[in-house]
Amino acid sequence: MPEGVWQARGVVGGQAEGAALVSRTALSFLGDLDICSGVVVGRSSDLLGACVTGRVLVLPASRGSAGAWRFLFQLKVHDSHPAALVLKELPDPSVTQGAILSGVPMVVEPEAEFWEDLRDGDLLQVDGTIGRIARRNAE
Amino acid sequence: MQLSDHDLGLLDGVGGDAARQAMEALVQLGEAYDAPDMVEIGYAHIHAGMALYKGDVELIEATAQGGAKMVVPTSTNITNADMGDWQGTGAPDTLGLLQKRAEAAHRAMGSGTSFTCTPYWAGHWPTWNMHIASIESGVTVFANSVLGARSNRDGFFAVYAGMTGRYPRFGLHLDRNRQPTHRVTVTAHPMGTAEFTALGYAIGLTVGSGVPLVTGLQTRPSLDELDAMGVGMATSGGVAMFIVPGVTPPFNEDADVPGLTEVEVGEADLAQIFDGFCTGDETGFDLVHLGCPHASFEEMKQYAALLSGRRIAEGVELWVTTSRAVRQMAREAGLLAPIMASGARVVTDTCPISCHFACTCSPDPALGVKPPSLRTILVDSAKQAHYVRDMIQCPTLFTTSELAVESAVAGRFLPRNRRNA
Repeated sequence: MPEGVWQARGVVGGQAEGAALVSRTALSFLGDLDICSGVVVGRSSDLLGACVTGRVLVLPASRGSAGAWRFLFQLKVHDSHPAALVLKELPDPSVTQGAILSGVPMVVEPEAEFWEDLRDGDLLQVDGTIGRIARRNAE
Repeated sequence: MQLSDHDLGLLDGVGGDAARQAMEALVQLGEAYDAPDMVEIGYAHIHAGMALYKGDVELIEATAQGGAKMVVPTSTNITNADMGDWQGTGAPDTLGLLQKRAEAAHRAMGSGTSFTCTPYWAGHWPTWNMHIASIESGVTVFANSVLGARSNRDGFFAVYAGMTGRYPRFGLHLDRNRQPTHRVTVTAHPMGTAEFTALGYAIGLTVGSGVPLVTGLQTRPSLDELDAMGVGMATSGGVAMFIVPGVTPPFNEDADVPGLTEVEVGEADLAQIFDGFCTGDETGFDLVHLGCPHASFEEMKQYAALLSGRRIAEGVELWVTTSRAVRQMAREAGLLAPIMASGARVVTDTCPISCHFACTCSPDPALGVKPPSLRTILVDSAKQAHYVRDMIQCPTLFTTSELAVESAVAGRFLPRNRRNA
């Protein structure tokens, strides 16, 4: 896998690294995730059965309840949270507030090439402070 | 962001450490959404602290212990237990007592301890052009659409807004976002809150997080019906504001602009929402629920009239959920006696989807919370039905308030009549 660097809009500051978990469907943090395990249980998500813990979670959008912040924070409390979030568009304020409260870096609106080049499992470094996503070579 | 001297002072700690941290978080939020500056807020509806989520009551306690004080009028959202009678709902003492710790923390911070999803019925009534912060999506949509106040769909940061009186100017705090995106023509003739939750739910399914301009309603909906329509939209979609010309300040008939996406909602759409939430056993329901969102005084009058002289069937429970403030008003008005004489229970501070019935929570194992096994819950609200399905993961039956009471008395489900099919 070639190395790569993509620009994005930094929303929640901080740096984190993890294997990409890429979804093509919108995710509701309330209801689609089992808090304690970080496993996706929502039947409308194409990530059903996958675990978000420690991954760079890449979503086209979030959906659903304004309680999203609480579920993101609960993932943090249970240490089952994703390493970082990458979203196509700015989400509901509740999602952003949950990411800030949980210290999970978040970037949005990555450049178009990101969506073409990205593969599930790619090792990504996300910098929410400067707004950058980098792919590292697997060693 | 352009910060005022007051904002900069808070960042420097002149308001104390808790206010400094709150302001730092609000600046971070504002930068994320490219807010030009902060607005002054006049009211906040904030997180109560929820005992069914590990560490959540402790989060509110830590905020209070850090010296936080509310500097604007503040109400608190719904909780996970009736703090005056958790035993009556079958919740363990461990849960009830943990939930009461959140009550103490809020008293220390000066929050109005309303513990409800409908603080407006408890007297919190922000007015036109007032910027507010709200953790409850139903409060957000009511404030924007009925009262003309300005609110986003917030999370925990409503607490920070209450502590500082400040909030970044973005989203529905800006005029340019308070404009219709869809024109919804209603050809159905909804009456009563159950049908208005279904209408809102149908609209939300179509418009997502848009701002629907709702036309075609035959009469001006009551306050309860407007409330019901809003929570329906906020549940199925991400709607934070609707516009009914002549109702939503300051919009009149001139709110209609060309180029809006056209949507029509008819009786068949409403019927589909009711039918879709009728998945349960029509003779095997355990619980009938009225009061989603939490009942107003007007609704308490209606329930008292419906239940007066009646008796709930053997093996069925009926819960009326409301706020403490409205329950007190109902008690003074002599409305509680006929409700309770029927065998029904008046529950405050929580509701079926917010209490220990939900299985999507994360209670500390030490609390010993175990959701009961329920066969079917019969409801009169599309919002409650949606979350019973997703959070209690139990079948539902959905009908009007009148027929929900009749069902509870008969022990047999009475579906909604289709009036104008």
